[in-house]
Amino acid sequence: MNKVFTDGLSFALPLLIIAVGALYSEKSGVTNLAAEGFQGVGAFFGALAATLLAPVMGNGNQAIIYIAILCAAIGGALFSLIHGLLCIRFRANQVISGVVINILAVALTAFFTSAANTAISGSASNKFVLDVSTRFTVPLLSSIPWIGGIFTDMYPFEIIIAVLVVFLWYLLNRTRFGMRLRACGENPQAVDAAGANVNRIRWIAVMISGALCGIGGICFAYSMIGNFSPSIYQGFGYLAIAAMIFGNWKIGPTTLACLIFGLAKSGGLQLCIAAKLPSNYMDLFLMLPYILTLLLLVFFSKKNHPPKAVGEPFDKSKR
Amino acid sequence: MFLSRRLTGKYASLWVSLLAILMTLAAASILLLTMGKNPLVAFRSFLQGCGMIPKENYGGGSGMLTDLLDFLNYLAPLILASLAFITAFKAGLFNIGIAGQMLLAGFTATVLIGYNKGLSAVVAKPLVLLIGLAVGGMTGALIGWLKYRFNIHEVVSTIMLNYIISYLTGFFINNNYVDMMTRNSKVCSPDSRLTLTNVMIGDLKCKIPLGLIIAILIALLVSFLFRKTVLGFEIKAVGQNRKCSEYTGIRVNRTILLSMGFSGAIAGLAGVAYYLGYTNTIIPKTLPGMGYDSISVALLGSGAPIGSIFAAIVVSIFQQGANYMSSTVGVAKEIASLITGILLLFASCGNYMKYKAARKIQLAADLRGTEGKEAKAS
Repeated sequence: MNKVFTDGLSFALPLLIIAVGALYSEKSGVTNLAAEGFQGVGAFFGALAATLLAPVMGNGNQAIIYIAILCAAIGGALFSLIHGLLCIRFRANQVISGVVINILAVALTAFFTSAANTAISGSASNKFVLDVSTRFTVPLLSSIPWIGGIFTDMYPFEIIIAVLVVFLWYLLNRTRFGMRLRACGENPQAVDAAGANVNRIRWIAVMISGALCGIGGICFAYSMIGNFSPSIYQGFGYLAIAAMIFGNWKIGPTTLACLIFGLAKSGGLQLCIAAKLPSNYMDLFLMLPYILTLLLLVFFSKKNHPPKAVGEPFDKSKR
Repeated sequence: MFLSRRLTGKYASLWVSLLAILMTLAAASILLLTMGKNPLVAFRSFLQGCGMIPKENYGGGSGMLTDLLDFLNYLAPLILASLAFITAFKAGLFNIGIAGQMLLAGFTATVLIGYNKGLSAVVAKPLVLLIGLAVGGMTGALIGWLKYRFNIHEVVSTIMLNYIISYLTGFFINNNYVDMMTRNSKVCSPDSRLTLTNVMIGDLKCKIPLGLIIAILIALLVSFLFRKTVLGFEIKAVGQNRKCSEYTGIRVNRTILLSMGFSGAIAGLAGVAYYLGYTNTIIPKTLPGMGYDSISVALLGSGAPIGSIFAAIVVSIFQQGANYMSSTVGVAKEIASLITGILLLFASCGNYMKYKAARKIQLAADLRGTEGKEAKAS
């Protein structure tokens, strides 16, 4: 039972930060299907930094992880500029742009991972091996019955993400910048009339989105997979987008959705282990989060309110 | 100015595609140059790998024709997949789930017909096509139904279905149909395959892709649908403006369901052409990359069914020629996907190119107009 909470949380929190990233972009009026690509490229930059730093700072040095997270954020933000360029500057169809970004991300990271590995170690491997992140257990809290698992074997990044999400909620809902950002997604003409620069706000939102997705990606690489390889593209980004839609473009409900996904995933796995089923049956349980998403969307999609101007390039002359 | 005229003229879409291809080739050349490779040699190798230019030497029983037929064998499902994307795209729907629909159709046909040794070729091949159409069509219709009944965005539902299909078929393959040697599904019977293998033409051992005939037929059919029929017009109208179509009396829900169903059915055909034609087995838990390449093809062909045939040829040259290019030039074959991605990047800027060209012509006309007035005044 404890394991369900521990694993569920370490899956849900990286998912949440990606979902919040997608939410920032969509709230500013830029459709973000590119979350999958952002998180992969962010993870690539983080893993590259970790691989380069490991010989310098010593293997197993935990400080590398924090540097990797920072690099992932920067890398994700840089890569998101392409999405911004297509959607904001070139007024391309934003859904198509998202798909373009995802295809490009898979190709770019696969190509440059083998190129970088050839340059570093001489073998054209398609993965970066990462150190194991340390885990810690909060004393006292972890011995609470039922929910103690939440505080057992935590990754340090879980704390970082939790703090970040609270800050991001504050930024979006309680500051002038956040209000303008939300207004850009609802009525950009009004923002323009009020004297703010719509396209600049959207650029910033897309870059925040890229940075957050990058953080989520490198956290997945450290926790779930243990290395950086093409298996980073397992659809975390899409799952995060589904969580965002299910959460009706609000950070609170989105958090809830991510927790449900995380618990469904880890619960399914533990169920499979507890029932002593052969490992082939694991695939059936891995389907659970996706089936759950579809079912939940069936019940909750009807009264959703996406941002009104999402998907439309800003045109100053339309009032 | 020459380019601006072309980009606003009658064949604007064609020029946009050509421009996108040129820009991609330029970008790829820069990439290859920075790696210290000669781009011209690399591009020639791409063409050689597809059997369009003769290679220096060939192994026994193979030749330029074998390479070309292999290329066409890959081309057939790609054309079908891009037609599937176009059919939904005209109704304003994004069928991102072509990969999943292909996999499900291919899997069902493989299990029901491919492993059924008793059927003769005349019965098996049409049945395979029929199963592809039915399975794909039903999956597509389900997505359409979820869209209008429950307001679930088709992008989300198709992606969720992709994963569900991938895990589900992977589970059955690993449990029941796995080939212990290759870890893929067992090969299907030659009678059920849509590619005739080991056909001797002269002294060359060739594969004849029957899927290509179907692909071209479907391309003509889709073209006819959108040019000449009421349904095609209604689909396009819904794609342009859903509210307006509703007020004019088009049954929007039915149109969404039908266009998504058609799209899925064509994707199903692509699936059987891929899994029972190009490849002979299914790799468990792997979605065909073609499902996403089809989007680049559809974009490059600017949504025209016949145009997509030519766009598919361009994309296939990179994908299919990559192996040979990689062996001769020594660049990782992942570069093919990278080039496809760059192509997609430029193709998606098509509308911006047209807009810029129109602006330029307008500005020039304005300038001429003011000069004319000044001349009159003096």
